[in-house]
Amino acid sequence: MSHLVVENLRLAYPNAADHGGFLALEDVNFQIGDGEFVTIVGPSGCGKSTLLMLIAALLKPNTGSISLNGTPVATPGPDRALVFQDFALLPWRTVLKNVELGLELKGMGAEERHEVARKYVSMVGLRAFENHYPHQLSGGMRQRVGIARALSVAPEILLMDEPFGALDAQIRQVMGSELLRIWERDRKTILFVTHDIDEAIYLADRVIVMSASPGRVVREIKIPLPRPRGLDIRNSPEFAAFRHEIWTLLEEQVRSSGSWEQSE
Amino acid sequence: MTLAIGTTRRPALSLRRAARPVIGTAAVASFLILWQIVGANEIIRSDLISYPSEIAETFVAMSLSGELGRNVLATLGEFVQGFIPACLFGIACGLAFALSRRLRYLTAPLFAALYSAPMIAFVPIIVVWFGVGRDSKIAMVFLAGVVPIIINTATGVNEVSESWVRAVRAFGAGKWQIITKAILPGALPAVMAGIRLGVGRAIVSLVAAEMYVSILGIGRLIQVYSNSGRAAEIFVLVGVVSVFGLGCVMALRSLERYLAPWRAER
Repeated sequence: MSHLVVENLRLAYPNAADHGGFLALEDVNFQIGDGEFVTIVGPSGCGKSTLLMLIAALLKPNTGSISLNGTPVATPGPDRALVFQDFALLPWRTVLKNVELGLELKGMGAEERHEVARKYVSMVGLRAFENHYPHQLSGGMRQRVGIARALSVAPEILLMDEPFGALDAQIRQVMGSELLRIWERDRKTILFVTHDIDEAIYLADRVIVMSASPGRVVREIKIPLPRPRGLDIRNSPEFAAFRHEIWTLLEEQVRSSGSWEQSE
Repeated sequence: MTLAIGTTRRPALSLRRAARPVIGTAAVASFLILWQIVGANEIIRSDLISYPSEIAETFVAMSLSGELGRNVLATLGEFVQGFIPACLFGIACGLAFALSRRLRYLTAPLFAALYSAPMIAFVPIIVVWFGVGRDSKIAMVFLAGVVPIIINTATGVNEVSESWVRAVRAFGAGKWQIITKAILPGALPAVMAGIRLGVGRAIVSLVAAEMYVSILGIGRLIQVYSNSGRAAEIFVLVGVVSVFGLGCVMALRSLERYLAPWRAER
């Protein structure tokens, strides 16, 4: 069953430097099945994050449509929970209160949301830190809070915007396997944006490769690697084959667009 | 070599830090002793500069007679009645100015001008508007206090991180929820700083206004005693005003630590 359907999506930023505006996404089409873990990779500036903002309805597309479970997406809502690259925690709230945010906005009563938030704080292993403030936590711990906050509202789909991009390499891998551990419990539908090819393959059932700007879907690659996946799966020949395939695609994209000359 | 320098420096620094309150107390104590000697022995005319023990006696006498209490209460009452509305109105205005660009462009020059203008200059016109009673003093407190609160709130709201707003918005928050869950708490430290600034300005303006037009209040007493050249009484009153100001600032600091521990701990 198709869960999230994205059709003919186009988005131009009208206020970009040149008067024609900047075309971020052009004719983007894909679907995600219920419980599927899909990652999107693409060169920097290809509009992958923009795509997530459109699905979250924090931005409106020029043309095209997005529907979730057959209902068109029009306004932001807790059925699509975001996890941000910059964590976007509220620094004046403790870990527990941050996780309660979405529940609070849903109008859940104090006692119930306390209980629900506690459950998710424990799920991400931060029980002992529930009364800490974000600035007292490491980057990895902060993003665990971000994940717990997103999961707590029981979304239909989890939208993750380079969630581990601000973390260093080792923490990043650990967080990836942690995310898989959590995901394997309830198989929540996840759309995960990254520019890290290994991360994209390691996590996904299917990788969507996007072109340099304007962003389009270049190829969708199924990743039938067995689960649960250990970190050492990255050393397997199958993994290497996927890595090579995606790397080649991205290299073509980057070269043809000349965007390798720009820094991010 | 560098290590040696580092190790010798560090204890020297911590020693200096530990000595700081001692040095401070010693400085104040020596000043008071010197003042006492100079004043009590008439090295400089004591009716001009008074001296600590006389001031202390005067303080006790003024407290016992009820004169001090009555006037402090009057001043305090005017302060509270003017300052609490200044906080509420200032925060609301600052928020509105920050959220509406049009309103901001319209009012920013006015408030910049008001902020740099000495409020005392407004006393005569305020008296014309509000009469010579308590109302004009309450109005002075309000006017003096509200300007820095508006300016700081507006600045604080403008500096609220985009990512906090995004996080709240992503969960489907409405406009009002965005304000209460992201913008106001995010701007709180700046608002508190504005309130602290406002307290200082309001106290100065209130005492000055009382010196112009009043039958009761600390400023009025200062006026009365300076007409009769009573240095000791004036020092008592100035001391009371300073202690009140200091008390307000300290209370606000601890309120801020309570309301915004994420900022205070940094």
